[in-house]
Amino acid sequence: MFSAEEFFVWLFRLVLKPFAAAGAFVLVAFLWTLLLQQILVYPLVFLFLCAVMGSTWFAGRMAGLFAVILSSFCVAFFFIPPVFSFAIDRSSKSYLIAYIVSAFAAAIVTSMKRRTEGMIRHARDELELRVAERTAELEKSYRELQRRERELRELTEAIPQQIWSAAPDGTFEYCNQHLLTLVGRTDSELRGNQFLELFHEEDREHFAAAWKAAIFGGERLEGEWRICCAGQKYRWFLVRALPQRTADGTITRWYGALIDVDDRERVQQQLARTQSEFARLSRVLSMGEMAVSIAHEINQPLTAVVTHGYACLGWLRAEPPNLEKARSTTQKIVDEGTRAGAVVQRIRALFSRDTMPRESVDINAVIREMARLLRDTSLRQETRIRLQLAGGLPPVEIDRVQMQQVLLNLAVNGMEAMSAITGRRRELLIGTSLGPSGEILVRVEDSGAGIAPEDAERVFDPFYSTKEGGIGVGLSICRSIIEAHEGRLWTEPRPGGGSIFQFTVPVDAHDR
Amino acid sequence: MTDETMTVFIVDDDESIREALLNLLESEGLSARLFASTEAFLDEWSEQMAGCLVLDVRLPGASGVELQEKLIAAGIRIPIIFMTAHGDVPMVRKVMKAGAVEFLSKPFQREELLTAIQQAFNLEREIASERAERRAIEERMATLSPREVEVLELVTEGMLNKQIAGALEISEITVKLHRRKVMEKMRANSLAELVKMTERIRKGPIR
Repeated sequence: MFSAEEFFVWLFRLVLKPFAAAGAFVLVAFLWTLLLQQILVYPLVFLFLCAVMGSTWFAGRMAGLFAVILSSFCVAFFFIPPVFSFAIDRSSKSYLIAYIVSAFAAAIVTSMKRRTEGMIRHARDELELRVAERTAELEKSYRELQRRERELRELTEAIPQQIWSAAPDGTFEYCNQHLLTLVGRTDSELRGNQFLELFHEEDREHFAAAWKAAIFGGERLEGEWRICCAGQKYRWFLVRALPQRTADGTITRWYGALIDVDDRERVQQQLARTQSEFARLSRVLSMGEMAVSIAHEINQPLTAVVTHGYACLGWLRAEPPNLEKARSTTQKIVDEGTRAGAVVQRIRALFSRDTMPRESVDINAVIREMARLLRDTSLRQETRIRLQLAGGLPPVEIDRVQMQQVLLNLAVNGMEAMSAITGRRRELLIGTSLGPSGEILVRVEDSGAGIAPEDAERVFDPFYSTKEGGIGVGLSICRSIIEAHEGRLWTEPRPGGGSIFQFTVPVDAHDR
Repeated sequence: MTDETMTVFIVDDDESIREALLNLLESEGLSARLFASTEAFLDEWSEQMAGCLVLDVRLPGASGVELQEKLIAAGIRIPIIFMTAHGDVPMVRKVMKAGAVEFLSKPFQREELLTAIQQAFNLEREIASERAERRAIEERMATLSPREVEVLELVTEGMLNKQIAGALEISEITVKLHRRKVMEKMRANSLAELVKMTERIRKGPIR
C-alpha cells in the first residue's frame, strides 16, 4: 500500500513534473511562434516539435507525451484555421495529423535517444565509479607497500647489524646505515665492485675468490675477513650471504650480513698465546722433573769423550806411539762429542718458545728418544719402561717437540701413578699400532690405581689435578696438542688395573 | 801397573761408556771385560775371576748398589769402584761403608780411575793372599784328629792344660801330647800364632 507521501512523490514525479516541464516548453514555443507569426506568413509549428523534443529530452517520456498533447491542442487552436477554435477544416486535417505523427515521432526518437544517452551515461558513471574504486584500492595497496617497505627499511636500519644486498652477478646494491656508518663511506662509494676495497689487502683476494665461488656455485658465502672500518682500523668480521631464489631456482638477489667477531678473534688469539705460553711453562716444569735425566744424558757422552781423550793420550805416549789406536780413538771422540751436541740441541728445542715446523718422522723413533730421556726418571721411580712398537708404520707429519712433550707427560704421569705400588713389578708400557682407519695409535699403559670412570674426562680439564703440587695443565695441553695434530686423546681403564692413555695421529695424506 | 792376572770388570748400560773405558784401560795395558747389566755379570761370574768391578750406580734392572749387596750376602769379596753421573751423597756413604774402594763422578780423571783400580788390585791381592793363607790353615786343620780339634779349640779359648784335662776328662800329660801335635800340624811357633790362625778361620768362609 502506498502511503500518502509516497503517493505525492509518485504524483509529482510522474505527473506534475513532466506536465510542468511540457507546459513550460510548449508555452515558450507558443510565445515564439506567436512572435514569429507577425513576421512569417507560414505557421511555424516546428518550434512545437522542438518543445516536444525538449520536454522529452529534459523531462522524460511522460513530459513528451504531455507536450505532444498540449502542442497538438495549441496548434489546432491557434494556428490551424479556423483560428481560435478547435474545429479543423478538412484541408487542415491532414496537416494536424502530420504534425501529431511528427510530434510523436520526435517524442519517441528523442525518448529513445535520451534513454540510450541515459544508459551510456549510466555506464560511464558506473565505469567512473569502478575506476575510482580501483584507483582507491591501488592507492591503498601502494600505501601499504610503502608502509611495508618503510617498516622493512626501518627494520634493517634498526637491527644493530650491517646488512647488505647484491645483484645476482655480485655487484653491490644496497646496504643499511649501520654498514655505512661502520665503514665511514657513502652509499655511492660502495657501488659496483668498489666494496672490495673495504677488505684488508691480505684478505681481499681470498674474499673475492670466495665471493666468486658463491656466485657461480649458488652456494652460501661464509667466512671471516678483516674489513676497514671508519678511522682506517681493521676489524675481523664474519661475512655471510645467502641467495634469494625464484620458484624455478634462479637467483634474484644476494642478502648478506656482517657480524663483528673482532673481539672473539682477539680473545681466541690471546687464548692461543696463553695456551702456548702454558704449554711452554708445563714443558719447563716437566723439564724440571727431568733435569736429572738431562744432566745424565749430557754427561754420558761427555764422560765417553773425556775417557777416550785419556786413552788417546795413552796410545800416543806408548813407545812406539800406537797411531792406529790413537786415530780410531780420536774418531770416537768426534762421534761422542757430536752426540753430546745433539743432546743439547734436542733439549734446547724442548725449552724453546718457538713452535717447530712439522716434519715427517717415524713415531717409533720419537718414542725411543723419549724413553732414553726418561731413563733416569724411570730408574728413580723404579719403573721399567717397556716398548711395544709396531714395525713398518708410515711416517707422520708432526711437531716433534710437541709430540715428545705429550709422550713425556703421559709417561711421567704413568710412572707417578705407579709410585705407590709395592711388591709387584712397576712397568710402563708404551706401544704403537696401526688403527682401523689407517691412523697411528699410541698408547701408554700403567698398572697404577687407575682413574675413576667419572673422572675419565675431567682429567683433561685445565687446572684439574690429582697430584700433590700439580697445577693440572699437563693433560689439557697434551689434548690440545694432539687435537692440533688432528688426532684424539682419551683414557680408558686398563684390564687388570691401571689406566691406558691413548692418542691417534693421522698419517700423512700422501702416504695413505 | 800391568798385572796379567787381574781383569777390570766394567758394568754399565751405556755402550759408549763401556767402550771408552775399555779403550782407556787397553791403552794403559790393562785387560777389561764388559757387561751391560749386573745380571750379565752374575751370569758370567766364576771364582777364577780376579780383579775389580767398575760399576755404575744406577742401572736398569738390579742396580750397582743391589749387586754390591748381593755379593756381600753371597760372601764374594771383589773390590768395587762405583761410578755415577750424580753426586748422590747418601748413596756414596752407603756404598763406601759397605766396602767400596772408590766412588767416581762421571766424567772422571784418568788418575782417579787408575789410582782406584790400583787400590782395588792391591786389595784384591790382599784378599787373594789372605784367601790363600786361610786355605792353607784350613788344609792344615783338616789333618787334625777330632780329639786334637777339641784341644785346639780349648787352648785358643785360653784354657790351661789342667783345665782342658778336666774338661775332656783325660790326663794332663795326654793334653800336653795333643797340644804339641797340634802345634806341629798347624805349624805354629807360639800360642799367639795359633790363636791368630783360628781367629782367621772363625771369620767364616770368604768365597
